[in-house]
Amino acid sequence: MSNHSCIEIANEWGIVSARQAGRELSKDIGFGSVDQARITTAISELARNIYLYTEIGKIDLEEISDNHRNGKARGIKVVASDKGPGIENLRDVMVDGFTTSGGLGAGLPGVKRLMDEFDIESIPGEGTTITTIKWLR
Amino acid sequence: MRIPILKLGRYLLISVQVELDDQTALQFQEDLLNKIHQEGSLGVVIDLTSVDMIDSFIAKVIGDVVEMSSLMGAKVVLTGIQPAVAITLIDMGVSLQEVQTALDLEQGLERLQQELGG
Amino acid sequence: MRSIVLQHMIDNKDHYIEQWRVSFDQLLFSRSESTIKPQYIQDEMKDEFVSVIFDTLTMDRHSRRAVVKRFVERLIHDGWIVSEFIMSLQKLRRIVMKDLSKHYDKDKFVDLSSELEDWLDEQITDLTTEFAKNHEEVKAIQKVALKELSAPLIPVFDKIVVMPLIGTIDTKRASQIMENLLEGIIEHRAQVVLIDITGVPLVDTMVAHHIIRASEAVRLVGAECLLVGIRPEIAQTIVNLGIDLGNFTTKSTLKKGVETALQMTHRDIITNEEPVTGGGLK
Repeated sequence: MSNHSCIEIANEWGIVSARQAGRELSKDIGFGSVDQARITTAISELARNIYLYTEIGKIDLEEISDNHRNGKARGIKVVASDKGPGIENLRDVMVDGFTTSGGLGAGLPGVKRLMDEFDIESIPGEGTTITTIKWLR
Repeated sequence: MRIPILKLGRYLLISVQVELDDQTALQFQEDLLNKIHQEGSLGVVIDLTSVDMIDSFIAKVIGDVVEMSSLMGAKVVLTGIQPAVAITLIDMGVSLQEVQTALDLEQGLERLQQELGG
Repeated sequence: MRSIVLQHMIDNKDHYIEQWRVSFDQLLFSRSESTIKPQYIQDEMKDEFVSVIFDTLTMDRHSRRAVVKRFVERLIHDGWIVSEFIMSLQKLRRIVMKDLSKHYDKDKFVDLSSELEDWLDEQITDLTTEFAKNHEEVKAIQKVALKELSAPLIPVFDKIVVMPLIGTIDTKRASQIMENLLEGIIEHRAQVVLIDITGVPLVDTMVAHHIIRASEAVRLVGAECLLVGIRPEIAQTIVNLGIDLGNFTTKSTLKKGVETALQMTHRDIITNEEPVTGGGLK
């Protein structure tokens, strides 16, 4: 299970350890420097969302492979999940510039652009799970 | 953790050598503004050569510190932004439009000198 | 066990080949990159296709695929259009159906025609699958070739580099170009980079978007972008599409761009009065 790790985000340091773990794993999988930066940045955004809006959550990092896409494809899957308040207005948070924290509002739409696949599930009152994938090309 | 701020004549030089976490970034913002006030600096060069990731929060802190410094009369030049970092910022739609940039510390200082007239 | 229809076709092979071959006379196989269709090449191709289809009747699926594969490789190599071969298979269907209806009663005919359909479907599937697979391979090879000639960065003077863009720019190529551009700027310590789009056939909003993104990234690493090689028709499309290149310095030719770049780096081209040394750079 060396290529799967789970980082708990309970405080600010969690953000740093999550992105360090992300950089390590993406380097191991063989991503170039630009994609490493993209993945690390996306993880940082996701971890910060957990830290800012919920008490506790986690980031799961996993190396994946898929046999359906032209033979063999490898990639990294990043899953951010929390038991926070959930997101009521899913449509709004995906709009550039929408912010409730005073940030740039580039967070979630930014993550979507940095990664290849993006999926968000949220149940108000129960929590949010965001799954993203970047494929190695 | 604190990022050291060096004084060189009328300028301040900062080379960020550590992984920027939120607290360090905010602490740096405060330290820099105090130093500008204290020294009456006219220009600031922030070298980001060793920084391998800037997310939207750090980008905001940097953008803010440039604007705040300019309010206090100090021009800021960012130098050494790595290609991977630049591409990631553009991907996220963060272009730091108002910020001056240069390739490295040396060219950053040259740029300040030109703009401040010697 | 071999189906009745196939056995029937094997037994009456010569008859069907002749019939099918006759139906070919109204059909012209064509090649994508050639308008010349000499009769003998046509005949050769038709014969070969006929033999591929009828020779493989007695084979199992595995060895048949190998034959089809070889045939398709040849089709692609010579640029034949596969849909016409599939159309000709449909002619064969009509011929065989007609004969079957003569030889068998109604109930039997229904069974047999579905057997024939199954066989034909398999043929078409094999042909198109092999064709698609082969095309994918060719595409993959071309992609690598394209990447290699993608975006060279040429240092022309101290602190000035030129990146000529040639051909169509898609998203994947754009990100490759962007990486080359930024790495090259760092490597050559360039202050000004001239992006020459003389060789780009079409500038639409997508291409403009990529160029704008690239120039923003260039600014972040600490250099500046000049867009040169804007032909009249490109200028027209840019304005007609409402693309805002307001933040861009643009020049019509690379020559003008180089002059501007020299000014930006505080240099000038001067002509020396002395005939001995000629023109030079200062």
